[in-house]
Amino acid sequence: MSSKNFKYLAGPFSANNPVIVQILGICSALAVTVQLKPAIVMALSVTVVTAFSNLVMSLLRGGVPARIRIIVQLVVIAALVILVDQVLKAYVYEVSKQLSVYVGLIITNCIVMGRIEAFALANKPWPALLDGIGNGLGYGLILVIVAFFRELLGSGTLLGWRVIPESWYMAEGGFYANCGLMLFPPMALIIVGCIIWVHRSRNKDLQEK
Amino acid sequence: MKKFNTNSNVYIIVYSTVMVVVVALLLAVAALSLQQRQYANELGEKKQSILASLSATDENYDDFIESRVLDAAGQTVGEGDVFAMLNDLQGSFDAGRFPVFEARDGRVVIPVTGSGLWGPIWGYVALEEDMNTVAGIVMSHKGETPGLGAEIATQKYQSKFVGKTIFEGDDFVSVTLRKGGAKDEAHEVDAITGGTKTSDGVTAMLRTSIGHYLPLLRARREAAAAAAAAQAAAEEDEVSDEVNMENAENNE
Repeated sequence: MSSKNFKYLAGPFSANNPVIVQILGICSALAVTVQLKPAIVMALSVTVVTAFSNLVMSLLRGGVPARIRIIVQLVVIAALVILVDQVLKAYVYEVSKQLSVYVGLIITNCIVMGRIEAFALANKPWPALLDGIGNGLGYGLILVIVAFFRELLGSGTLLGWRVIPESWYMAEGGFYANCGLMLFPPMALIIVGCIIWVHRSRNKDLQEK
Repeated sequence: MKKFNTNSNVYIIVYSTVMVVVVALLLAVAALSLQQRQYANELGEKKQSILASLSATDENYDDFIESRVLDAAGQTVGEGDVFAMLNDLQGSFDAGRFPVFEARDGRVVIPVTGSGLWGPIWGYVALEEDMNTVAGIVMSHKGETPGLGAEIATQKYQSKFVGKTIFEGDDFVSVTLRKGGAKDEAHEVDAITGGTKTSDGVTAMLRTSIGHYLPLLRARREAAAAAAAAQAAAEEDEVSDEVNMENAENNE
């Protein structure tokens, strides 16, 4: 893999992260990060959709009429999301139940359409596919970080496993209580804000003058 | 080569028509070819939920459970496709058709349906042979808040219902989810903190859905009470017979 292609894949992890640099896909980052498991499944599903929608749109890019390109993009994304949903329901029923409404949310994820507009329509299929995978994973990375803190501090568990011992809780005579605020969407926004803060303070070139 | 004009009206119309037809065909083929598997998954899940409410997941559904359909008076009206009814349970209730699942060991499972905060909630309530004590409950939801309302789908929360009773004497009281903690140990469960609307939805779901089955439950309870009374009377007879015999012996 050439270094340019590698940049497409790895760039979105940090320097060009869709959530904390491009500020895309914030709404779903608030909705699915109460617990780690749905966040991980959501991250993987979004990666599949961004990868293939980028690939398909890059293949079609020569023939898409510019005036209806947004509609074409929506149809491609929606078709992919429905396919993913159907396949999940047929082969991994448990996971599809976990995701429930979140699968449909992928259609509205700005990252998918943002990457098609900004990248896939102007690049060859292979770089477009890599860009899609990179952005999906870059989005997933932030999702997992946010969900990690929200589940740990909000429920005292990780992936459903108890991390903070029962005996620490006040109900059991201990000193500890879960932070209920973590379970609500505003806290996700605050955590995303903290991540952006840390990230920008380490990447001086991203700071606005 | 002159570049093809991709912005002419004719091209746009042809392009969008072809695209829609292709996508529609693709999705139709996918939906049809996966339908069988999806249906089997849903059916298997329903059967597992019913067995789970009875804590009998090791049993074979077809051997262990017998399903029937009742009318509003609690009379059996044939078997029918109970699983199709479960897909639209509220519709079946409205139409006066009430599916019920009976285990070989005398317990019954009642399907329940209602609304949570964000969407439908549903479940299965298993009652012990006395038609009063909750043997187990399984609940699911479409989109309650994870960590709050969605807790109703966890085993930990559902286990709180076991042993609660739905009758106070002969009056149907159902099981209530009480905000701030259960006061009446027999008929109440702690509501979910931060999930009050969902908890209220569960309370309403249990009350209305189980309420539809009251004719069956009451009939069973009366039959059981009559049987118990008859047995008690028979035992008393035996006792008095023995006493009489002893008396007779003493007289001798």
